[in-house]
Amino acid sequence: MKEININVEHLTRIEGHGNIILNAKNGNVEKVMWEVSEAPRLFEAFVREKPYHQLAQITSRICGICSIGHTLASLKATEAAMDIQISPQSELLRRLAIHGENMQSHILHLGYLVSPDLFGVGSVIPLVKTHTDAVLAVVKLHRLANEFSEVVCGRTTHPTNLIPGGFYKTPSPLKLKEYRQKLLDSVETAETVAEIILDNIGALPSFSRETEFIALTTEDEYALYDGVIGSTDAGTYPVEEYVNVVNEFVVPQSTAKYCKNKREAFMVGALARFNLNHEKLSPMALKWAEKFGLRPVCHNPFMNNVAQLVEIVHSIEDSVSLIDRLLIDYKDESRPVITPKAGRGVGAVDVPRGILFHEYTYDKDGICKKANCVIPTNQNHNNIQHDFETFAPQLLDKPEKEIELNLEMLVRAYDPCVSCSTHFLKVEWKR
Amino acid sequence: MKIIINDTEYEFKKGQMVLDVARANGVHLPTLCFNPLNAQARPAGCRLCVVEVLEGGRPGLQSSCTLPATDGLKVSTRSRPVYNQRREVVELLLSEHEQDCRNCFVSGDCVFSELSREYDINGVSVCSECPNRKQGCLLSRGVLCLGPITYANCDAYCTRRGYNCEGCHSVMKNEDLLRFGLEAFAKAEFTKEEILEAARVFSFEGVDVLEKVMIEEGFK
Ligand code: SF4
Ligand code: SF4
Ligand code: FES
Ligand SMILES: [Fe+2]
Repeated sequence: MKEININVEHLTRIEGHGNIILNAKNGNVEKVMWEVSEAPRLFEAFVREKPYHQLAQITSRICGICSIGHTLASLKATEAAMDIQISPQSELLRRLAIHGENMQSHILHLGYLVSPDLFGVGSVIPLVKTHTDAVLAVVKLHRLANEFSEVVCGRTTHPTNLIPGGFYKTPSPLKLKEYRQKLLDSVETAETVAEIILDNIGALPSFSRETEFIALTTEDEYALYDGVIGSTDAGTYPVEEYVNVVNEFVVPQSTAKYCKNKREAFMVGALARFNLNHEKLSPMALKWAEKFGLRPVCHNPFMNNVAQLVEIVHSIEDSVSLIDRLLIDYKDESRPVITPKAGRGVGAVDVPRGILFHEYTYDKDGICKKANCVIPTNQNHNNIQHDFETFAPQLLDKPEKEIELNLEMLVRAYDPCVSCSTHFLKVEWKR
Repeated sequence: MKIIINDTEYEFKKGQMVLDVARANGVHLPTLCFNPLNAQARPAGCRLCVVEVLEGGRPGLQSSCTLPATDGLKVSTRSRPVYNQRREVVELLLSEHEQDCRNCFVSGDCVFSELSREYDINGVSVCSECPNRKQGCLLSRGVLCLGPITYANCDAYCTRRGYNCEGCHSVMKNEDLLRFGLEAFAKAEFTKEEILEAARVFSFEGVDVLEKVMIEEGFK
């Protein structure tokens, strides 16, 4: 029997760096590993002794893709620690912010990173020639998501407008109206993208491994901005107990921590949200889930891509209805005044890659004494490893290149943000 | 016949200037007013091509585009005086250029932005790009804006949209520029610590220089 040795160092088309290793002999997998060999980011140390109003500013820099999510989780933690209530209007606006980012991030992942796999090419560049309309539709959606985020958050990334207590400057109602229309107009573009993906969905391997799914969940909406921790295995937990849900632990092959809850691993992200909260999706999003045959509880990690697509449609539709609700009685609430206070608080937001936690402890002057951030990709590393262990043996009779591609696609389906979960320091010794 | 540029000997033909010999041998010398398409005309106006004559001629700085090569002439294209002079030239040329040339995004396509990086010409502040600077400056409205002491070239992204500048382009490192910038804070009521604390979010070395200048300027 043949011997298989795969070693993909620095897998491409994901955020950050990770390696795939597979050794097999005589039809037996000897070793299969998702390797994350990175140094910690140290953000929890950066923010110590910093005043409360700088924390979101600093922690948003953990990532260039989900910076709005980090900002919101950070603000919620600060507000929880200091008992700060934000106005209902600010709550709605923050929901727009997370929708904006969800669209930005998902379309980037699907359109630029995953689509080459669907069309069997190496990157998005050749698609510009062969599938010009599809690429243009993707760019158009991405642009809209960026602009919309800017209108609400002040910047497309590393937002300036989101501050403890609410908004530095209440976004202009005229702009919101303008973007309501643009969002409506974009439905067609989103459907074009969805159709194209549907036509090529056969390229996604069918694979399934039962696992636990964890996401925010709440009674009255498809939870992104707020909710309690939900699990497909174990009901709900209050967010304050997140430490007992993620159960971080250390393994030798990864300097990023691993997580587990009820089983050997769990998954977070769009698919987890779909599995837990699908019935609260917008009508059109549900329609698309149906077209793709995405039904809860779906245990195929590759369907995370489809769940992201469904969420794009949901974010568009839900943003429109949120803007309608906002504009009924829209007030200027710029620069809310707040007073710092001692306390400990946890903020949880379901960001594009899954549930994100920030926790801070402040002294009475609002100086941060302790911080902890648990990033979605961290929570997924362990599940990726377990998927590998189940998936690899099923692949062994394929040619080596194909095995490699399948494993790569599996990692990509998780949309990991490795640079976010830790930070890879590339050291090349030249002697 | 040979001349020596930076300790290396080069052959030359009669009538060649030092610049021509250097160019022919791939020795880099920056020029602005020299036009290779009209090599006869040498206005020698920009003074960017200066070299330092070390031996075999009148010692000191001379423009290489008009300095005839003579046997045994020894020059340097990279001595300290040469660098200082060129830096001065570029700085003067850019003195009315209200742009942070060094970090400009058209770089690669602009000889000045290359020169200002090569000769470390410091930029201008975010205020120079800010639409509020004539009226409605955030500082006058009690908001701590780091625009005056932050390198420009974001086109005042945040202040243009009504938010304060957080200094994400880094606090300037040039003492003079900081001194000018700090004038804007003199009228606003922020303490030294408040300003430093805000500056520390995105800057490291610059903050030490800032602190020094603030102490000199009597900030409390
Ligand atoms: S201080 Fe800020 S608001 Fe005022 S002119 Fe400078 S950049 Fe603009
Ligand atoms: S914070 Fe950065 S982007 Fe914004 S105005 Fe200041 S330097 Fe420009
Ligand atoms: S090239 Fe301008 S002075 Fe020599
Ligand atoms: Fe990220």
